[in-house]
Amino acid sequence: MADAALWLMVIVLIVAALLLVKLLQRILKAATSIPPKIDAIAGVAAAASRDLDAVAVLLTTQGYIGSIRNSVLDYGGSLNAALPDY
Amino acid sequence: MEIQVAIIILLIAAIIGALALFLIATILQLFKINAGLSVVLPLVGQIVSKTGPVNPVVDDINANLVVTRDALENLMLKKGGPDSAGLVESLFPGEGAKFLRRVNRSGKVVNVGTVYTRGVGILASLGRGAPIGAAHAKGAAVRDAQYSTTEVAKLYPAPPDRRNPNLNIPKAPVIGKDPVHSPYEPALTPGARTRDATGKKIEAPPPAPEAPAPAPAASGGGGGGGGGGGGGAAPAPPALGRLSGKGLRPWER
Repeated sequence: MADAALWLMVIVLIVAALLLVKLLQRILKAATSIPPKIDAIAGVAAAASRDLDAVAVLLTTQGYIGSIRNSVLDYGGSLNAALPDY
Repeated sequence: MEIQVAIIILLIAAIIGALALFLIATILQLFKINAGLSVVLPLVGQIVSKTGPVNPVVDDINANLVVTRDALENLMLKKGGPDSAGLVESLFPGEGAKFLRRVNRSGKVVNVGTVYTRGVGILASLGRGAPIGAAHAKGAAVRDAQYSTTEVAKLYPAPPDRRNPNLNIPKAPVIGKDPVHSPYEPALTPGARTRDATGKKIEAPPPAPEAPAPAPAASGGGGGGGGGGGGGAAPAPPALGRLSGKGLRPWER
């Protein structure tokens, strides 16, 4: 009876060891797949950061748009006075 | 020791060894991940800091553009009336209906760029008193794209050429005595000058002379004079003669 119990425990341990190795392999595989993606993200982030240097030009555009608005309003006022209404 | 116990001990040792091996490898990968994230995070911070002021700037630009668009649309609506949606449609296809919705108007959008040629559109917009403009102002477009210039030619009929009656003289829309459409309003005082040649205002038109004006008294040349006569009756006011650079003209003396 005791022998059977020991053999059963041996079998259980073998199955447990196989399952454990399988699970640990999956964890390791997932962990090893992350660093390349992080490197890729770092490259993209650096490129995006460089591209966003042009955002400062928006301030110039903002000034231009304001000037254009003023010019259009002045021109529209002149047209309003020059052209007859419908 | 029985063989089962030895196998169990070996199995437990193998399990512990496998655990240690895989966990150490996983820990190494986690260190790599940590190092990679420490590189990525500052870059992400740069992106966040650079995109931070974009929203207010874009909002300001949008607000300016909306103000400009509204001003132009109101101006177009005021000057163009129902044609304004067609003008918008001709410039930006598909925007005419949106324009009407924005200004709370409804109706059919006629693409004036398609219906009219450019010259016809300009003529129609210039003269609503002309037949072409009047018909257009009341309803839908009166001309089609194929024969639109014919309609323009009908406005100002061309007379036949005297040398070759088979040809017509192209007649320009000159503003004459009784033009088809004149941009000028009729004069309030036709035939009368309200100002003289020098621009001075004329109070009242001089009465028509019934008899030829008496010649002014020849009082010693052109420059002096002044108080002529000195008789009993009040002298009639001297008629104004034309003055040249040398004084009165011979037939006025």
